[in-house]
Amino acid sequence: MGDLKELTLQMARAVVNNPDAVRVEEVEGASMIVLELSVAPEDMGRIIGKDGRVANAMRTLLRTSAAKDGKRVNLEII
Amino acid sequence: MSNQNVKSLDVSAKTVDEAIEQGLAQLQLRRDQVDIEVIKEGKRGVFGIGAEDAVVRLTPRSRPSAEQAEQKAPPQPPADNQPAEAPPATTPVEEVARRHLGALLRYMGIKAEIKVKSAPELVEGNEEAPLVLDITGRDLGILIGRQSQTLRALQYILRLMVSKEMGSWQPVIVDVESYRIRRHQSLRRLAERMAERAVANKRRVVLEAMPAYERRIIHLALKDHPAVYTKSVGSDENRKVTIIPK
Repeated sequence: MGDLKELTLQMARAVVNNPDAVRVEEVEGASMIVLELSVAPEDMGRIIGKDGRVANAMRTLLRTSAAKDGKRVNLEII
Repeated sequence: MSNQNVKSLDVSAKTVDEAIEQGLAQLQLRRDQVDIEVIKEGKRGVFGIGAEDAVVRLTPRSRPSAEQAEQKAPPQPPADNQPAEAPPATTPVEEVARRHLGALLRYMGIKAEIKVKSAPELVEGNEEAPLVLDITGRDLGILIGRQSQTLRALQYILRLMVSKEMGSWQPVIVDVESYRIRRHQSLRRLAERMAERAVANKRRVVLEAMPAYERRIIHLALKDHPAVYTKSVGSDENRKVTIIPK
């Protein structure tokens, strides 16, 4: 069993300039897990990346991890 | 993120034994090659309530073995307040990459081993052989994904993590069960075969859509071919290499 919240934290902290400002809230439903990620305003560009590349890579890894347990996951950057 | 723990590794897991196993796998060391310190015993809890993960600290012993000593940087002498050597400059990429990849896999809930190697097969001409972290274990197909999407995401995130800690861009390569090496070889063979077909039929051959680095392999495989040239057509996910008779 993975830990999607911790996975998100680890990935996000490695990308931003203000790792202490990274917050993740996990809301788990029957089949869908929602992860709400927030970072310092100046780090928004870094967490999304050019053409959303960073955010999409994070989503891919989260999706793969959740799929092992038959779940879907939605990463929202707020 | 700090470089303080280059000499030791903290691992948490359900039980002390599990944490030690995971830590040893990450460090690729045997139990007798490390000093083990139990930081938290961990609690089972009742129905998962009050459960607490066990935490252990593994410190590689200074002379692990001749083989390991070759792969790893020599242990640093105790710091004698010598300001000359900044820790980030001496931290080997390999150790940092292994630690971050180990953490990613653990949080993804994937049990696997990481083997570090250099892969001259993956480079063209006289490029420097990159550092490859090969993930081995059972049922790791999900780590590759459709058109190796998951593998590429894993590599991209790991590069960001390692580069951030090292302070410079580190193009480490992540592989799963040598998939990239096998794929590299089969793409080169495909390129040769399709070039022959293009020449024989005097018609262009359009390959299936591939990610950028796979198209690059085809282009490079045929760049000195006497009878064909190559071109990529289409956009994004649909970009395909086309082999055209000269």
